[in-house]
Amino acid sequence: MKLTKIANGCAGFAAFAAACALGAAALANPYEKYAGTTIVVSWPALAHFQAAETLVEEFTEETGIEVEIDALQYLKLRDRQILEMSKPTGDYDVVSWVVMWKGEYVAKGLLTPLSQYFTSGSLVDPEYDIDDIADAYLQNGGIVGGKKGYMPGKSGALYGIPFGAETSILAYRKDILEEQGIEPPTTYDELRVVMKQLGDAGIPAMTSRGRTGHQVTAGWLLHLAPLGGKIFDDQWNPTINSPEAVEAAQVLREIAQTGPTGIPTFGFGEASAAFLQGDAALYLDTLKIAAMSRNPKLSKIDGLVGYGLHPVGTRCGSETGGFAVGIPANSQNREAAFLFIQYITSKAGDQRMVELGGDPVRISTLMNNADNFDEYPVVAEQLPCADPDWRPLIPEWNELNVDVLGQALTEVITTDDPIQTIMDAANEKAREIMEREGYYTWASYRGN
Amino acid sequence: MTDRASSDTDDLGRPGFNIRSLNPYLFIFPAVLVMVCGLVYPVVDAFYLSFYDWKIGMPFETAPFVGLSHFKRMIFDADVWESIWVTIRFGFWTILIEMVLGISLALLLEKPIRGASVFRTIFILPLMVSPVVVGLIWRYLFDARIGWINYYLGMVGIEPQVWLGDAELAFFAIVFTDIWQWTPFIFIIIIAGLQALPSEVLEASKIDGANWWQHILLVKLPMLKSIIVIALLMRLIDVFRALEVMYILTGGGPGRATELLSLHIYNRAFDTQQLGYASAISVLLILLVFGLSFAILVFSDPLKEKSDI
Amino acid sequence: MRGVALEKVVKRFGPTVVIPELDLEIEESEFVVIVGPSGCGKSTTLRMIAGLEDISRGKIHIGGKDVTWLPPKQRDIAMVFQSYALYPHMDVAGNMSFALRLAGKPRAEIEERVRRAAEMLELTDFLARKPKDLSGGQRQRVAMGRSIVRDAYCFLFDEPLSNLDAKLRSSMRTELAILHKKLDRTMIYVTHDQIEAMTMADRIVIMDKGLIQQVGTPREVYNSPLNTFVAGFIGSPSMNFLEGELHSDDPVKVKGQGFDLPLSPEMTAKAKRAPRKDVIAGLRPEHFAVNASRAGSSESTYAKIDLDVSVAEYIGSSQFLAATIGEVPVTASVEVGPTTEPMTSGTYLFDTSRLYLFDRESGNAI
Repeated sequence: MKLTKIANGCAGFAAFAAACALGAAALANPYEKYAGTTIVVSWPALAHFQAAETLVEEFTEETGIEVEIDALQYLKLRDRQILEMSKPTGDYDVVSWVVMWKGEYVAKGLLTPLSQYFTSGSLVDPEYDIDDIADAYLQNGGIVGGKKGYMPGKSGALYGIPFGAETSILAYRKDILEEQGIEPPTTYDELRVVMKQLGDAGIPAMTSRGRTGHQVTAGWLLHLAPLGGKIFDDQWNPTINSPEAVEAAQVLREIAQTGPTGIPTFGFGEASAAFLQGDAALYLDTLKIAAMSRNPKLSKIDGLVGYGLHPVGTRCGSETGGFAVGIPANSQNREAAFLFIQYITSKAGDQRMVELGGDPVRISTLMNNADNFDEYPVVAEQLPCADPDWRPLIPEWNELNVDVLGQALTEVITTDDPIQTIMDAANEKAREIMEREGYYTWASYRGN
Repeated sequence: MTDRASSDTDDLGRPGFNIRSLNPYLFIFPAVLVMVCGLVYPVVDAFYLSFYDWKIGMPFETAPFVGLSHFKRMIFDADVWESIWVTIRFGFWTILIEMVLGISLALLLEKPIRGASVFRTIFILPLMVSPVVVGLIWRYLFDARIGWINYYLGMVGIEPQVWLGDAELAFFAIVFTDIWQWTPFIFIIIIAGLQALPSEVLEASKIDGANWWQHILLVKLPMLKSIIVIALLMRLIDVFRALEVMYILTGGGPGRATELLSLHIYNRAFDTQQLGYASAISVLLILLVFGLSFAILVFSDPLKEKSDI
Repeated sequence: MRGVALEKVVKRFGPTVVIPELDLEIEESEFVVIVGPSGCGKSTTLRMIAGLEDISRGKIHIGGKDVTWLPPKQRDIAMVFQSYALYPHMDVAGNMSFALRLAGKPRAEIEERVRRAAEMLELTDFLARKPKDLSGGQRQRVAMGRSIVRDAYCFLFDEPLSNLDAKLRSSMRTELAILHKKLDRTMIYVTHDQIEAMTMADRIVIMDKGLIQQVGTPREVYNSPLNTFVAGFIGSPSMNFLEGELHSDDPVKVKGQGFDLPLSPEMTAKAKRAPRKDVIAGLRPEHFAVNASRAGSSESTYAKIDLDVSVAEYIGSSQFLAATIGEVPVTASVEVGPTTEPMTSGTYLFDTSRLYLFDRESGNAI
């Protein structure tokens, strides 16, 4: 009975051979010990995770480990997870977080370091190959501690594996650029010329998020890292009035001037819709635009989209973001949870996610499927220079993001005031916040 | 002997405890309970929180006590004052226009003219729409790219406007939407008030020789004063509570052009996650609303006026 | 013609005919009371005169002018309402001067007229008060004052006393009558109370079911009611009606169950012209008398009648008797001495010179 079940589960799997061979070689099924266990998974009700439900069923078929999925609306996810993980014993065995939250989760001691499982020979699949997972994703979503507390480094540790992660690439309308005799831009200088050309031709150039608050900040951050800017220097001094940061704001202003009507009101949905509905020639944001452009319910431009690397300014630096999965410290089924995470992020699992319509996290998966998806070669090329530190993951970031940058950048795109003045004022405001929150205590202590 | 004194004596007339004297308290107990749970507790809790620097997600036990520093910060916080100024301007324009429109329409549609009842029904529909839906409807109507408003303006040759992305246009948009949603409220209240006016007094004014304007300005409106004041008060409090529509329509943007105080508090609490500071601002909001209501009630005393009609 | 005239006025509310057709002429300076039970159309008639109600057909003249389609303010009228209809937001002076202010009269004139009206109505001390701070009687005076200052051609009163208590009502009746003499204006007064009508009116208009039943001086409508409705409505307690037949004996008699009354010579003459013998005899309660007091000579107009008394109510100088004649319940009011015991069943007297006869079919007086 169990054998047929396993056989069924394996059937049609790319991993069939590997999984069964492993079982045979060890003379015991590595999952057997945990068969019948039920683990509870908390993740958001987003497309990638909905696609993953099939993979989860297949996992249960193959391993006998039951999985209960608690899929929550994205906005409710964090509060719910914190609530569960703060209990002495929680209901969740696997949680999925947005990279923004990882520092907070670890600081509160809510997560289990994954190193303790990667040392276990009976749990780790020798073929797992963690190095195949895009570095930028792993660092961005999984590593906490280290330099700045959210970057890799000797004091850092691995708490999660990226699952449903993404990076930024350039998408463009092949037909429009061809018609105008324009080459896809590869640098920011080229991009600015192209935008002007398109604008002069009466074609809305690039769409962007621009709504007051974190949306407009997100639009700006896309350009900050490639143009060589940072939010803080190494002493936590804000640098949002640096020439690089001001140039990024200038780019954003030019985008708003040459792009589709209404950028100051665009959130992510509106910005994407403008491109998908044919109202913009360029799109510089998440790679998810590729899947959306193929969806006839959302898109009028299927087949007309080409992809390129995030344009380079002084350096190559795309954004990374999305989700990672890890294990709460108060989970009662941590080994089974590890097996689950390993399964869905394994080479076979990653390939299966592509087949189910999700986003891969492994370079090998991207390369293997390059023929089927136009954007994959671009993403594979993009990831090595993706920048996991494109914004600080500190508690004060919320206030800086929304109250300081969100306001200043709205001024940038809705007025003609000098950008330097706007950013100088914002920088001063940011400094006051950092001062208030005690970031300069060490500096003043040393100074005395 | 008063009723109250007699209820404090038993059947033999001896003063003392009487179970029946508890009845009034027993009967209002559920109402008091609901009040305490639903009203008093949150207010007291907000007041309490305003002394702590609690950021969302942090266990409250770890939030440092900061005394009055939130209130000190608030006094010098230009963003808070800007929100208050936006709220005042918003309240002024919406209430002024809603009152004038609502009262005028009520006076025009009071008489059973043919079609008036149909119009009345259609007209009050916005009141029945949930604020979130109102926000969504108007967000799409005002949308710069796909909105109907730009579409129809385009048909008469007007350039598309970024309604929700320009400080002045966005302010106009929230005022307009509020008027669309709340004029019916004034209309209904005034219609009800008009229909409750004693008909003989109105006839007396006609016999006394009042023309249409005099009839309205010198008789009808003064007699509606108490109802108008109550409507005004309710709208004024609503202005400070208004959140959902603006949250969806503009989110307070662009910049802080449409960030009402309530929305500012919301953004502080949940966007920048400073619950303690947001609580302190909401204490200010409560005091403002309380002060305003109190002032209006004292100066106009609608309940006293009411009794003589 | 001066005064107020209604010509063939018809009022319909939708399909319901409230006033079938009404003709009424009121002399200048006359005090006319329109009286009738509720729903008889008296208030509607008044409101049509005031212009508060459109008329469906016919014409209305006030002071010789056709006002049929003029709004109230152009009819030169003043009106006092049952609820007083004071403006709650104005003080007494404001209420009284409102019409004058609207008419744009000079300030001094307004003040003078308000002062005089207030003096006449003893309201001088209350001029600065709001209506809610006044008693019912004072409010009533303010309502009067409001119309007096107008100095209108015609005053309309819509049951103005019905919200007052009995004592105040009777003193206000007197005041109104005096006021009428002082002002010498046409006044039309609507009430359901026949005492108000009898005490104040120059002429009474009695209405029922939208139709005028009789128009006449109080004396006429009391002494010569045109039909059983008027006869029953005017007079208190109401007239008793007994079915009977005329018998051409000498003297002519009207006989019915439990009674047998000879007719007076005038009545005999009328009875001879009656188309049929079936009649209704009308006996006013106050025309009964105690046997002992009036028995006597053969010229006496009193005839004997048996009353089966069930209750005697003592009200001072008289007793009200609830009794039956034959099987018909009747009321009688008899004058008695202050110490007389409650009256009992027996033979009483009735003044046959005050007997009324009505045609049994039409109800019209014979």
